[in-house]
Amino acid sequence: MLKTLLNKIFGRVIWALPFIIALPMQSFAQAEQTGNEATSITFPSNSAQAWLAKMSHAVKSLNYSISFVLLKPGVDAQPYLWRHGVNEEGLEMEQLNLLNGPGREVVRIGNKVSYFEPNVPPYSLQSSIINGPFPSELFLRPEKLLLGYEFIMVGRSRISGRAAQQIRIISKDKSRFGLNVWLDQETGLLLKMNLIGQESQLLEQIQVTGLQVTKEPDPFFAKIEPGMLPDVVNFSPSSAIDSPWTINYLPKGMTIVKRDLRRLSGSGEVVEYIMLSDGLVDISVYMQESNNNKPQSNLVGTVQTDTLLTIQHGELNITIIGKLPAATANAIAKSIQRVN
Amino acid sequence: MSQKFEDLSALVDGEHSEQPSSSSRVLNAVKNDAELQQKWKSYHLIRDGLRQELPANINFDIADKVAQALESEPEILAPKRTWRDLPLVAQVIPFTKQGGQMAIAASVAVAMIIGVQQLNQPDVNQPFNAAPPIPGIQGGLSPVSFDQTRAVPNSDGVEQRRRINTFLIDHKQQLRFKTTQLIDDETSLLQQTIEKEEAQSDLVENTPQ
Repeated sequence: MLKTLLNKIFGRVIWALPFIIALPMQSFAQAEQTGNEATSITFPSNSAQAWLAKMSHAVKSLNYSISFVLLKPGVDAQPYLWRHGVNEEGLEMEQLNLLNGPGREVVRIGNKVSYFEPNVPPYSLQSSIINGPFPSELFLRPEKLLLGYEFIMVGRSRISGRAAQQIRIISKDKSRFGLNVWLDQETGLLLKMNLIGQESQLLEQIQVTGLQVTKEPDPFFAKIEPGMLPDVVNFSPSSAIDSPWTINYLPKGMTIVKRDLRRLSGSGEVVEYIMLSDGLVDISVYMQESNNNKPQSNLVGTVQTDTLLTIQHGELNITIIGKLPAATANAIAKSIQRVN
Repeated sequence: MSQKFEDLSALVDGEHSEQPSSSSRVLNAVKNDAELQQKWKSYHLIRDGLRQELPANINFDIADKVAQALESEPEILAPKRTWRDLPLVAQVIPFTKQGGQMAIAASVAVAMIIGVQQLNQPDVNQPFNAAPPIPGIQGGLSPVSFDQTRAVPNSDGVEQRRRINTFLIDHKQQLRFKTTQLIDDETSLLQQTIEKEEAQSDLVENTPQ
């Protein structure tokens, strides 16, 4: 009964052994060529980590042009063009362009990201990633996700006409949504990404429709004049605030990346703001002492893929927004307490 | 004996596609063999488990449970033939049932329209004709008198909706202005949070599940 299954698994492992042994040699040979990347590849080369390391290296070092479509429930499909190039001096250049409507254009030259959007004067940020529709940190530092997520090799399939390796990314404590990622077998670049809810329902999807890897960077990048890009906006570093509140529960791998007091631009109300991040999702927590004149009911719902939870908890009105299950948002909100 | 399990296992793994005739032979075997059917279930379950695709709640044997429930159902005696049993009338009745559902759906739609209209109405009970604050505005152009006008009792739902909108916009802005440096200060930030967490864990014991 079960024996046949076990036999088969062992049979395949033995069959695959020569490959498992042969592959690291190959990757070492490659690593020596690339030099400085060798230190980061320490996993067996056919593991999910190795695949994500390969992706991360490809995203940073190749000249590519990718067309993809972002799909969210209840919203029109959003087509994007994503180009990346490295010039002779080793400077990274990246462009992300929303192709429908008035558009949204983001250009990154090294550590300066410039945003050109309708209704907002153009501005630049000092950052090494574009804040786009995909989790950029996953591409650049997949190892950072290991704190809170598990990487699982699933299998191969065909995506966008190319052979693809599927990898599943699941939160270790099952407190966040999972991710299914398909990577190009040849280059390691992303071909498809599904955000999966806890009942395995599809929440958001990125589907690559065209992928070109070229020797030279796209001629588009030669036309950019770095001097013409808008100035960098400097936010005054938020001084450490002395808050009477503390969050006692954070999902595994999630940390507080930002905390300040801010006046909301819409209503002028002052709230305490905390941003939580695990490298894959960013979550906003707003805290406000509740006011008897403004009673509010507890609400939970989803806005596109973001979960929104607003509850009255003790003396506080707490609102949490982000791509996380409502139960987790509730657990975070309920764990907020006054420090004695 | 074990060959048929082997065949089935290969089929479940999608590795049995060499000749279509052989896979249909396995499928026929499964149809006629209760033991193989049991295997079919468990192989799929094992596969899902290995791939971590198991859903949060697993409902085994829904079909069996429904069948059991039907069996334990008290028997209903067949009613006498009435005018409803005439073929023509029998066809009409489902339409009336559908009509009921349509009426419910229509009333929901009306309720939603009214709700939206109420939302879109300007605040009539404001003492003076101040320009309503536009939640979508960028850059903190909030009217100074906003808090005073709020003192006038207002519909709570509208108020809350507006607040939620502000939060959503602010969340989007925060994500937009988020900056990440690949090299510096990331580790120190991580260190800070860890220290903070340690300090917190000393203070309070009860953590939610």
